[in-house]
Amino acid sequence: MATTLTVNGERRVSARGPMTALIDVLRDEFFLTGAKSVCREGACGACTVHVDGQPVVSCLAPIGTLEGREIRTVESLAEASEPSALQQIMEEHDVVQCGMCFPGILMVLTGFLRECPHAGRDEIKAALVGNICRCTGYERLVDAAAALARRN
Amino acid sequence: MRAPDDENLFIAGTVPDALAALASHGVGAMPFAGGTWIMRAPIRREPQAAFYVSLDRIPELSAVDIAIDRIRIGACVTHSRLAAQLAEVEPCHGLVTAAGSAANPAIRGMATVGGNLSTWDFPAADLPPALLCLDAEVELATTDGRQRLPFERFLATRRELRPGTLLTGVTIPRRPVRTAHARLPLRKAGDYPVAIVSLAILLDRNGAVEDASVAVGSVESTARRWPELERKLVGHPLDPETARVLAEAELGAFTGRDGVEAPGWYRLQVLPALMRRAVDAALRSQS
Repeated sequence: MATTLTVNGERRVSARGPMTALIDVLRDEFFLTGAKSVCREGACGACTVHVDGQPVVSCLAPIGTLEGREIRTVESLAEASEPSALQQIMEEHDVVQCGMCFPGILMVLTGFLRECPHAGRDEIKAALVGNICRCTGYERLVDAAAALARRN
Repeated sequence: MRAPDDENLFIAGTVPDALAALASHGVGAMPFAGGTWIMRAPIRREPQAAFYVSLDRIPELSAVDIAIDRIRIGACVTHSRLAAQLAEVEPCHGLVTAAGSAANPAIRGMATVGGNLSTWDFPAADLPPALLCLDAEVELATTDGRQRLPFERFLATRRELRPGTLLTGVTIPRRPVRTAHARLPLRKAGDYPVAIVSLAILLDRNGAVEDASVAVGSVESTARRWPELERKLVGHPLDPETARVLAEAELGAFTGRDGVEAPGWYRLQVLPALMRRAVDAALRSQS
């Protein structure tokens, strides 16, 4: 039986079984390859997307539980092809290295800075505990997020 | 709700719905709450059930009810919601620390109280030691009705629960105790703790310990109380350094489990320091 999902504002239908992890449907069926499939156990954060506005590791979310929920992926952050304020400041600070962890980090920080727009470095680090960067580029990431928080 | 025969997931709308679905699929069926353990099973080469009953659309299971004399936490309340909703509620300081520091933020937003407690093969879980100290009761439902089990008894029997049993909630009596939860992950955060000390202490009017509950998590395969140390604490003023020394003398009560992240002896070695930290935190918490 097909599962109907709302992804980045569009209705999408998946033919995969209801216990299929959302990350596999996003990447393999909908070709939304921003979210990365890495640890597949919720430890690295590379597959983070938003479900009803909350960051969720999509490797652990079966699509059958997501009907009627609003799913947003990193592809939705740049509205009308304009990078979001977070994306812009990441570019200004030259944060991106290999790019594997980066979409997940953007999704976590987008949700976090919405709730805590004036967060300090320690709070930003705590929010990123579940996002592992294999290039160890944490300092510039935190610098950029803190700079955006100061601007807010 | 929907459950075509060829599907392996049923979305239950009510507890009776969920119980009926579990009963009709027999031993091959399991409840599905946050999914953080079940969904990682394939990569760990662990078996998955043939059929899951999803609980997250059952309103009753997502409620936190705070009454004057007790708190009831629905089984599908996530760690982050638990930490947020009980943040200023006594006597939950220790429980809030447990729920608010387990795993990482995304997992805390998905993993539920009921799922955490039902995962019997998870020695490093934060909630069991915290709930052991609070004299919590676990509410279990089957198609025959509901029953409440003392937390300690639940931990001892949870592997052998009748198929089709659903954990529906946890109840905590509100006693005037000071509580704390001290954990030691190998990284500052985001790791499983190698050892946990949770406590709930009742002080008399003179500041002496009238009643003490101390529980240890992650050291053995299942969290359990530390009665040898509890007895030593009673009758004396609560003091972090004294508690550390007393804990040092009672380490023989536990046999540390060896694991890839830490050997058994190390888990024991850090318990006195965790006890000191927990007492320090309890003294700073409200009663």
